Amino acid sequence: MKIAAILRQVPDVVEELVIADDGRSLAEDEVMYVTNEADEHALEQALILKGRHGATVTAVSVGGDEARDALATAVAKGADEAVYVPVPFGDRGDNHRLAAHLAPAMKEGGYDLVLTGFWSADQLDAGLAGLLAAHLSLPYVGGLVSVAVDASTKKATVRKEFPGGRVGVMELDLPALLGIQSAEQPPRYAPVSKVMQAKRTLQAKELGGSFPKEDGVRIEKLLKSDPAVRAEMLPGDAKAVADQIVRLLRERGIV
Amino acid sequence: MSLPSPVTGVETAGTREDFATGFLRRLYKLPDGERILSCLQCGMCTGGCPLGYAMDYGPRKMIAALKAGRVDDVLKSESIWMCVACYNCTYRCPSRVPITDRMIAALREELLGRGVGVPAELQAAFEKTVRYGNPFGESPKKRDAWTKEAGVDVRVLGEGDSADVLWWVGCFPSYNKRNRKDTVGLARILNALGIDFGILGSDERCSGDLRCTSVGEVGLFNLLYEHNSQELGKRDFGEVLVGDPHAFNALSKEYPRLGTPLKVKHYAQFFEERLSELTPLIKKEMRVKVTYHDACCLGRRSGLYEEPRALLEAIPGLKMVEMPRNRENALCCGGGGGGMFLDSFIWERTRVPLPMQRVQEAAKTGADVLAVPCPLEISRFEDAIKTAGLEGRLRVREISDLLAEAMGLTGGM
Amino acid sequence: MTSREIVVVAEHMGGELSDITLEMLACSRELTHSVGWHVTCLILTDDPKPFEALPLASDRTIVVQDPALGSFNPLASARVLQHVLKDLSPRLVLLGNTGVGMDLAGLLSYRLGAPVISGCARIRTEGERIVFTSRLCGGKLLAQREVQSGLAIALLMPGSFHRESGMQDQVPSAEVRRSPESLEALPVRFVELVEPKTEDVDVRKVPILVAAGRGIQSKENLEGVETLAKELRGAVCATRPVVDQGWLPRSRQVGRSGMIVKPRLYLALGVSGAPEHVEGMKDSELIVAVNTDPEAPVFDVAHYGATVDVLELVPILTEKIRTLRGG
Repeated sequence: MKIAAILRQVPDVVEELVIADDGRSLAEDEVMYVTNEADEHALEQALILKGRHGATVTAVSVGGDEARDALATAVAKGADEAVYVPVPFGDRGDNHRLAAHLAPAMKEGGYDLVLTGFWSADQLDAGLAGLLAAHLSLPYVGGLVSVAVDASTKKATVRKEFPGGRVGVMELDLPALLGIQSAEQPPRYAPVSKVMQAKRTLQAKELGGSFPKEDGVRIEKLLKSDPAVRAEMLPGDAKAVADQIVRLLRERGIV
Repeated sequence: MSLPSPVTGVETAGTREDFATGFLRRLYKLPDGERILSCLQCGMCTGGCPLGYAMDYGPRKMIAALKAGRVDDVLKSESIWMCVACYNCTYRCPSRVPITDRMIAALREELLGRGVGVPAELQAAFEKTVRYGNPFGESPKKRDAWTKEAGVDVRVLGEGDSADVLWWVGCFPSYNKRNRKDTVGLARILNALGIDFGILGSDERCSGDLRCTSVGEVGLFNLLYEHNSQELGKRDFGEVLVGDPHAFNALSKEYPRLGTPLKVKHYAQFFEERLSELTPLIKKEMRVKVTYHDACCLGRRSGLYEEPRALLEAIPGLKMVEMPRNRENALCCGGGGGGMFLDSFIWERTRVPLPMQRVQEAAKTGADVLAVPCPLEISRFEDAIKTAGLEGRLRVREISDLLAEAMGLTGGM
Repeated sequence: MTSREIVVVAEHMGGELSDITLEMLACSRELTHSVGWHVTCLILTDDPKPFEALPLASDRTIVVQDPALGSFNPLASARVLQHVLKDLSPRLVLLGNTGVGMDLAGLLSYRLGAPVISGCARIRTEGERIVFTSRLCGGKLLAQREVQSGLAIALLMPGSFHRESGMQDQVPSAEVRRSPESLEALPVRFVELVEPKTEDVDVRKVPILVAAGRGIQSKENLEGVETLAKELRGAVCATRPVVDQGWLPRSRQVGRSGMIVKPRLYLALGVSGAPEHVEGMKDSELIVAVNTDPEAPVFDVAHYGATVDVLELVPILTEKIRTLRGG
């Protein structure tokens, strides 16, 4: 069984986000990237399936230098192959063009399953998963919290989340593409020494071809969220705040 | 009929040795690791371990099993994650086996490598430290944000700058709000003494001790060491002053061993040396009864018992009382060896949590204040005081905080 | 002649329209106020009866009926929508920024050749242009995009509009159609819907909720939060990351894919306020948020906030309330 997990890098919100001078993008030298959380779960789910079925996992990492580092971590966690997809800074976050760019290689790879995060923190258009599935004409469902595969009948049974804690059980014929919400267990840890070793011995294939240039997502304005209405901030230390909260609750008869 | 050829013999030696043999071989190669072979099985280690009663494989049994080649049995045991790095075992061992730093660490490293049985909170702490240089997941750029509230000038040393003393602040003192006043207090004391000091600011990353040396993330420790030693190398200084006893051990023991010799002092030593300059600056009388908790990392690990006491006794009006378990017999707060992140795991498997036991012991002495030299102890003992219902009867304060108040540098409480 | 048609693709479950559908209708209503636009509510289902007579705020309701549309199947829905939308030729298609809408957006975009704008919080028209404002990066950024002409597909964030405005006084004309394509033997099939185990507390019914977010830092700290909730006579709920870690059961999850709650008090502790979570609690009567990050988006939705350390606050607050009650 061959499984591909696609990982994208997104801006890390722990660091302060700085808008570039053009007012339409993030300042390139201030942005720190981190792997999109849902994609980490996609990789984890792929590794879980590898553990169950002995599949080979190909990690495909999209972005800049951090994307290459993410491949070392993926290999340290257990991915068998690594593919690096460089994307210029200004073109990141455009899933339409990314889907077109990835489609040929994903088709060639002959994967039984392609997993990627259901959505990403920085997406402005449709999620990569659905778009890529459309390009590849693969059966697709997203928002998944578990994936079970029956290799003999070539079917996958998945659980899709719905509001109110409900879960829809669905079945797909393989090969298929799945949008992962969360893996069946939290993403595993890769010790630094293993990652360092993976970095040293990493042999990543690089996806050739230039990034498609056709009309994609265009942001007119990018702003820091600064709404007119904000919370009234309670000043002071923990004791003072506790006093004020108690007062608020008493005023409303909650306590 | 042919005899087995030498080639076969060589081949056999070259095939993969079995896992247990390989593990032990690597263990013995660690600094002082071969002392394990001199273990007498006397049991002083398990006997002195504060959580030994809850371990199915206490240190003594671990060593016995390892030497018998039963490495996998030990690895399956949960006891490995119950070590809080109190160093009781290491301290008491007549053969001086480096149990905490090397054996426990090696076992943990093996488990980390396999990705098996690693408690999730610890994993999160590692991941945050790798990415942000601190276990809180806060931006490295904000590491010196505390200096804005210091009320005194705290110089951030850039490349090529020099100072007499480099103050290694540490993760908890830098980021943790509960340690803020102690860090500020220390800054003001240094200022009052006219010490020429500076900090690395946002170039400082975790020293790695708390999570790494005894927790088995050697790779992470090395990563942090590479960064930190490089940053230290860019500045010119005489001594390194440390407020965090864990960082004290990393910088004074591991860093020189890895190639970065440093003259390191904990602030207790540093101020004790300058007692004659400090004493005239102590303006306030503090009529409190204080009992001092010997932090494992200063006490058993480094032998610094009297210096902190000397500082406390220099405060007029302050009366010292000792807990029954003091100096080398002090009871660990449970925060070391990753314990800060393993409380749920450990407390599910043990009786009264260590910090609870310790604050009850402190309260029994009749003390008003439990004085500590380690920032981790502030959070741990404060929480324990609340849980034990001792609020109002006992307060925990860092030595730097008490000293700063006595010197009239901070408002105190 | 540019189309002035808006099609709202409805979401429903168990014979009931989801709130997001009404919000999308409310959004369309706002858009059609000034300029002469036309709104169609498009419902894909196996049984039109629950929907035909609803007083939806649309100009007409079109129901496409087929047994395969009884439960959600992205492939079946996409096939139907592809045809119907080509037929209706709208300017704007609204989908929910939900597990359903997100499954359809990519397929439809590809087949209809139309751009998609996800995470929309606001939509307005400027002459022929449509301007969309979306939220990104955990709610910390706002991005504005425009579509000059042609079809645009927008995913609307739940909570951006009032569901009440999605209904009106009269019932729009309703039309029932058959599916334009065969929906048999699809490579994607719906098997069954599993209801959540409710042996646990139903957080939707508890008037006082204390929410635990990542700022709680460890499972062990939850104990303190539970005690606080008990003193307040309420229950503990959580954000997705806390539930994913296994610290609390899935039934306690509040947010887009969890429970939607409207308690009297929502005390958010260590919650960052990412849009997926906010969706689930923004209608709470009183929201008090505590987070050491002054820029946390939760302060955009909370009524009161504080930047003290949650772990410090919890025991103090618990004790004060206990004393108040004379305990």
